[in-house]
Amino acid sequence: MSRTLAKILVFTLVVIGAFAYLGQLVPQFVEHPPQKVVITTTTDKADLAEFGKKLVRGKGGCLVCHKDQETGNERGPDLRKAAAQAPSRKPGTAAEDYLIESLKEPGAFVVDGYPNMMPAAVKPPAKMSMAEVKAVVAYLQVLAGGEPSVTILPEDVATAAAATGPVHRGRALMDTHACIACHSVAGEGGAIGPELTTVATRHEPATLLSKIRQPSTWTAEGFPAGVMPVGDAIPEGDLHEIVAYLASLAGKSYSATGATSPWSHEGLRLGLVILIFNLGMLLVLVLARRGERARGGASHG
Amino acid sequence: MIHPSSSPPVTPYALKGVYKGILKVSVMLALTYALISGLASILPAADYRELPLLGNRVAVWIPAQLHLMFAAFVLGVPIFAVITEIIGAVTKERRYDELAREFTKLLAMAYTVTAVLGCMLLALLVLLYPKFVGYMSELFKPTWLLYIVLIFGEVIVAYLYWYGWDTMQGRYKKWHIALGVLVNLWGTALLFVADAWVTFMMSPSGIDEANHLVSLWDAVANHTWMPINIHRLLANVAFGGAIAAAYAAVRFLNASTDEERARFDWMGYVGSFIAIGAFIPLPFAGYWLGREIYQFSEQMGVSMMGGSFAWLWILQASLIGSLFFAANFYLWLGMGRIPGANRYTKFQVLMILVLALGFLTWATPRSIIATGGEMAAMGGSHHPFLGLFGVMAAKNTAVNLMILTTFMSFMMYRRGNRIPVVPWATVGKALQALVVAVAVGIVLFYGVYSYFVPSLVRIGFSVYQVSAVLGAMAVFVAIDIPLLKGAREIGAIQWGKIAPRAQYALFFMAIVFTLLMGLMGYIRSGIRQYWHVYGRVADESAHAYTMSHGSATLIVSGIVLVFLLLIAGVFALTARQKDKRGDAPAQVALAGEDAR
Ligand code: HEC
Ligand code: HEC
Repeated sequence: MSRTLAKILVFTLVVIGAFAYLGQLVPQFVEHPPQKVVITTTTDKADLAEFGKKLVRGKGGCLVCHKDQETGNERGPDLRKAAAQAPSRKPGTAAEDYLIESLKEPGAFVVDGYPNMMPAAVKPPAKMSMAEVKAVVAYLQVLAGGEPSVTILPEDVATAAAATGPVHRGRALMDTHACIACHSVAGEGGAIGPELTTVATRHEPATLLSKIRQPSTWTAEGFPAGVMPVGDAIPEGDLHEIVAYLASLAGKSYSATGATSPWSHEGLRLGLVILIFNLGMLLVLVLARRGERARGGASHG
Repeated sequence: MIHPSSSPPVTPYALKGVYKGILKVSVMLALTYALISGLASILPAADYRELPLLGNRVAVWIPAQLHLMFAAFVLGVPIFAVITEIIGAVTKERRYDELAREFTKLLAMAYTVTAVLGCMLLALLVLLYPKFVGYMSELFKPTWLLYIVLIFGEVIVAYLYWYGWDTMQGRYKKWHIALGVLVNLWGTALLFVADAWVTFMMSPSGIDEANHLVSLWDAVANHTWMPINIHRLLANVAFGGAIAAAYAAVRFLNASTDEERARFDWMGYVGSFIAIGAFIPLPFAGYWLGREIYQFSEQMGVSMMGGSFAWLWILQASLIGSLFFAANFYLWLGMGRIPGANRYTKFQVLMILVLALGFLTWATPRSIIATGGEMAAMGGSHHPFLGLFGVMAAKNTAVNLMILTTFMSFMMYRRGNRIPVVPWATVGKALQALVVAVAVGIVLFYGVYSYFVPSLVRIGFSVYQVSAVLGAMAVFVAIDIPLLKGAREIGAIQWGKIAPRAQYALFFMAIVFTLLMGLMGYIRSGIRQYWHVYGRVADESAHAYTMSHGSATLIVSGIVLVFLLLIAGVFALTARQKDKRGDAPAQVALAGEDAR
């Protein structure tokens, strides 16, 4: 008996082991999530092209179908030639406009000999902002041996912020606490104070926290001191959420208050319902027992 | 109202059993809740918390996959049980009812393990991924409430089904079967709800640009929901059957009498039959799922089939290929106990050939990430000759032929000891041969023709191929049933007279099924890459990377081993439990062998 079981165990180990071994034979590589880039209206053209390269190879997922070097996929056209061919692709459309369009609406013009399969870069999963699209175009232009011609406009940056990460309560709280009246973030808001979209690239989250609490900690260059109201009335949790939001815009991570427990009150209420349900079952059981005993007594008597 | 003088089908004994189940689930939920809220209030607030040693990713992966496997088992077993119970009621053969009963008995213990694993998973998710879980539970709030209600409902019907087995015999049988059907409907509802969450993460819909809920129904009924529902449902049946067959195999190998051997041989056959029967349509459900993924996101589809995950499909193909081999091997060995089946031995060489070629074709990768040197050697990103076999057209052709071959093995097995005597027997057999030949012809024709048409047209061809195979199988069976009516028996099947090797084929199938589930689970979850919700909510933790295939397969292997050990434990403990047969003490003796 135990011999058989031992045999079965060995057999199982051999089969599973063979599978695990097979898994070691295929090529091994680890894929890391793409790094976030922050593009502003003042980003240098060379940097822009460099960002574009990162986007094409990372977040954009373009290399699933295209190649930007000698080896690579050929489901879509060779990206090294894209910018050079762009002027002659679509009659009446300038090279830069054509390239932008081919990223924003790939279906608007489909290159001969290819299926209309390319996902729009501005839609999920790539979900690029216009600034990012322009960075990619800058890269394509450099790739073809040219100079980047694109310029980043303020409204391009706007969508850049909206495109990041999960929903931020922090953004909503900046409305609640009227930061937006003086600051613009992600393309919205006033101009009394500095633009905050990239503020976290210049300051650490902890520094920002103390600044919002107590504006006199330091004063931003080129702006008057004493204008920004003291934030000590803002709830601690909200402060953290706002900083987490600003940090996320800069691609940094800062833990806000953490999620409120999804189980807080509902959990208890649900528990009560379950308890009552249990008691009900118990009652039914007792009654059934009683009935049985009564019946048993009757038939015996 | 039941007449008071007759013993009611639902006895206090049954009620007590049900109540124990309810209590168990209630206590487990309460403990989990206490644990989660206790720890959540002690631990510092964060978007992600880091678990030392294992790391979040693996810590969640292991209980999730184990929970899923057990869930598949507890959903698969009732389907398996009800089918066998119905066969027993229709054929009036007692052994079917006994078989169904024996497996239903496992449910109570298996539910407990499933629930414990589920609670572990929940606690780990809430504690390690508070922000993301907060988002999901807010979004899907009504559904998880529904889920809890469904769990209690499932426990009630399933425990009534088990505890009512002996009292609901005879004139109550149809109600008992209805109860069994209810268990399955309930279980399916549970599966569908849980699938909504998982598939939303793969192919989100029903939310706006800022990820706020727009329509809960749209979020639930996303692109991949139905295909995954169907795929998992079929897989659960196949899985339940395979595990049942493996259990029978253990009992067979340990049996000391011929009578026992006969019984467990037969049980293993029924289990494997149900497993293969449910397995045959699975590739089709898989294609449907694949198509929906492409429709949702071309990019996800391409990176799943042609990108980094392509290699895992090679592993999957080798698992499925060996599964087909094992199934046919088992059937052929089984023919040894069927007098007269040696008539069909001559076909086995041809069938092995088809299986082997099909296997090779299926395991040929299409586009893989090759190094520059490899590409230079091949003269392109695809191999000039092998590349031809890597494309979907060749794979479709291969899998269709393999399915047809396995079907033919079954049919030969069925006919093994019987010679048709109906006057139209020769015509009937000729017709059957013709139907199969036509199906093979259609599959091959479209397989070859595919190479000469653009891919858009080609995709449509797989429909013709599948229809030809399914159609041929249907026609074949439709002819077979009247054909074998009153057929002359060469001799009775000698249950128990099968080589022990065949039992290892059954183990092999169960192990490979489990490995397949683990691997496919990883692919399904892994193709989201660094997203919690694909394209919408990014995974911003340190575990967002996609690990190497080697590490992933090692983890899958470990999970499978743990699962098999756990399920063996469930079987062993259940067998040891005192089997009280309802309120009828006279029947306890009957169950004596269960306790052995
Ligand atoms: C699913 C495959 C796929 C993905 C992913 C994809 N593309 Fe494409 N792309 C194509 C195909 C196919 C074409 C040609 C048909 C067309 O014009 O739409 C194309 C065309 C283009 C063109 C026009 C080329 C020309 O020569 O006119 C550009 C530029 C381009 N893609 C850039 C990108 C960038 C940048 C990304 C990443 C954000 C990307 N693509 C992602 C498949 C893809
Ligand atoms: C009444 C207008 C006003 C309001 C309301 C206001 N600020 Fe300011 N803020 C300013 C001005 C002016 C400056 C620049 C001078 C300084 O640094 O104090 C500034 C500076 C800042 C800076 C430093 C920027 C840099 O580039 O160094 C941060 C961060 C900031 N504010 C955040 C906030 C937040 C968060 C809120 C909402 C809770 C807020 N502010 C509300 C006017 C305002």
